[in-house]
Amino acid sequence: MTEINPNGWAPVENNGEEKDCAAAKAANKTRPPKPRYAVTIAVSSRTLFNMVAERKIYEEEGLEKYVAHQVEHENKPLKPGPAFPFVKALMNVNSRLRELYPDSKELFDIVLMTNNHAQVGVRLINSINYYDLTIERICATGGKSPTGYLKAYMTNLYLSKDSEKVIEAIKEGIAAATMFMQETDKENQLSDTQLRVAFDGDAVLFSDESEIIVKKHGLDTFFEHEKEFENKPLAQGPLKCFLESLGKLQRKFYAKNERMNCPIRTFLVTARSAASSGARVLKTLRSWGLEIDEALFLAGAPKGPLLQKIKPHIFFDDQMFHIDGAKELGTISAHVPYGIGQKYHKGKLIEQPAKKE
Amino acid sequence: MVSTIQNTDVKQKDAARAAVVAVTSRAVFDCGVGGGDDVCGVGVAFPLLQALQRVNERLLEENPAESLLFDVVLITTSSQQQQQSSRISSSTRHYGLEVSRFCFSSEEDFIESLLTNGVQLFLTTDRNEATQASQSGVLSALLDQQIASCPPEQLRVMFCGDAIVQPDTGPTPASRQVAQSFSTQLGEMRQRFGVFNSPLSIVLVTSRGGRESCSGALQKLRSRGVSVDEAYCLAGAPQGPIVSLLRPHFLLSEGFRNLEE
Repeated sequence: MTEINPNGWAPVENNGEEKDCAAAKAANKTRPPKPRYAVTIAVSSRTLFNMVAERKIYEEEGLEKYVAHQVEHENKPLKPGPAFPFVKALMNVNSRLRELYPDSKELFDIVLMTNNHAQVGVRLINSINYYDLTIERICATGGKSPTGYLKAYMTNLYLSKDSEKVIEAIKEGIAAATMFMQETDKENQLSDTQLRVAFDGDAVLFSDESEIIVKKHGLDTFFEHEKEFENKPLAQGPLKCFLESLGKLQRKFYAKNERMNCPIRTFLVTARSAASSGARVLKTLRSWGLEIDEALFLAGAPKGPLLQKIKPHIFFDDQMFHIDGAKELGTISAHVPYGIGQKYHKGKLIEQPAKKE
Repeated sequence: MVSTIQNTDVKQKDAARAAVVAVTSRAVFDCGVGGGDDVCGVGVAFPLLQALQRVNERLLEENPAESLLFDVVLITTSSQQQQQSSRISSSTRHYGLEVSRFCFSSEEDFIESLLTNGVQLFLTTDRNEATQASQSGVLSALLDQQIASCPPEQLRVMFCGDAIVQPDTGPTPASRQVAQSFSTQLGEMRQRFGVFNSPLSIVLVTSRGGRESCSGALQKLRSRGVSVDEAYCLAGAPQGPIVSLLRPHFLLSEGFRNLEE
């Protein structure tokens, strides 16, 4: 396990605001980079920690009992949640970046973004301390929507268990996904030296324009269309910018001759096939100046077994069908509630429920 | 010459138990240059007064015999305002504001007014007035122009773990004392309501330190009987974007610098 040594962190540049030397020194040890330089990852409390039992108390006994329970147990650390391995992997990338670029502000900044009551915050902070996570920025909004704060922190990726909040964030142009715990007991052994992120293509990195064609006109039309428009870049999807920010950090390693040892690796895991519809995807990425380390074209085969081999710290897909398949085989998955895929389940159009009054 | 007048439209509060808050009339009303008995326009602190009122209403709903209430005093701090006294009282009645007393004082004697009226919190839009009051041992907070758009349904009080609004004078032991006792009263009021749907929300912001300072501040406030509702640990991030979302009615920073020690 990588130890984070506070004394190895880069000093924050002296921007003239620090008049008190002692305060400055203390601040330097803990201060993350300003939002505009960092790649900000906001995680909710339930994605960072396993709060399933506590959630049950909230749902069955109400908010007061839930808060009281959390306060009563605040010295008992929470167990890791689905985003925990991802956060540890981000921390490892930061260590490697600081080794190569001691003064750089281009790092991951992990923010705890929860709408928990502030009193629950004490237990959350105690748990962060217990695992020695580098999370210094916290918003405990006491019930208010986090979207405004996500924007204020220039968030590059937001992970939550609450799909409503995720949908709201995506609507505001923030990359976001709903996380799920893996269901299986067999935990995939994840790398602790390399952050591995897997993305679906359509409606995640790219817009859902092609998926619309599949749903409305079928696969054959889709193949023809993609061949015809092979050279026309697809429009971007909600997670394109996040991939871009990963690429930016990767290039910092390449610049120091660390390509073979890069602690970030990205994967495209798509149902498209290499022969027919795959080319357009690769050409689109190229037109955006983005690289993806491995592109895996499944031609409709299930994603679960392949993901089991890849062992990503997180896998993003817009279709619950694929998320379920991944989860069953132990992959940590995150649903991107975007595009036409939300209206379908296993290829069938979902009946729209009557709007809530 | 100070004249203190009771507002007979409003039930007087129990002096021993109430939290006496004085707000300058200039913050509450925009009296312009009109004369006679013209009703004044509303000022930036108008929603703040409505929010204080709302807290009182909800406190009395919970317990009709409640004596821990906000006791609002409207105070003039210049001879110019002093001369508008009848417009100020008639405007107060016109808007149905729950103001128990008026202190019509001038620049020279408003401090004396604050002291003789047992004011525990003085709110003004004028930095000099706030400084003077602080130096005389009265807890003060500077009201921002932005509070005009704060919600009147919920009183939002922000505690700064480190000073966002730099106090012009460092906290003396006496000023720390008044700050603590006021915040304890606030904490007690907050306890009358449940976690959800409270008319009073206590917000903590720590701007420079990391999570330890936030946790420390939460626990220290808790030990004083103040249960914070919302907490934001900025750890050096720019304050503007976050604080503008929080929309507090006022900030209490004096005497709380030790929250982050």
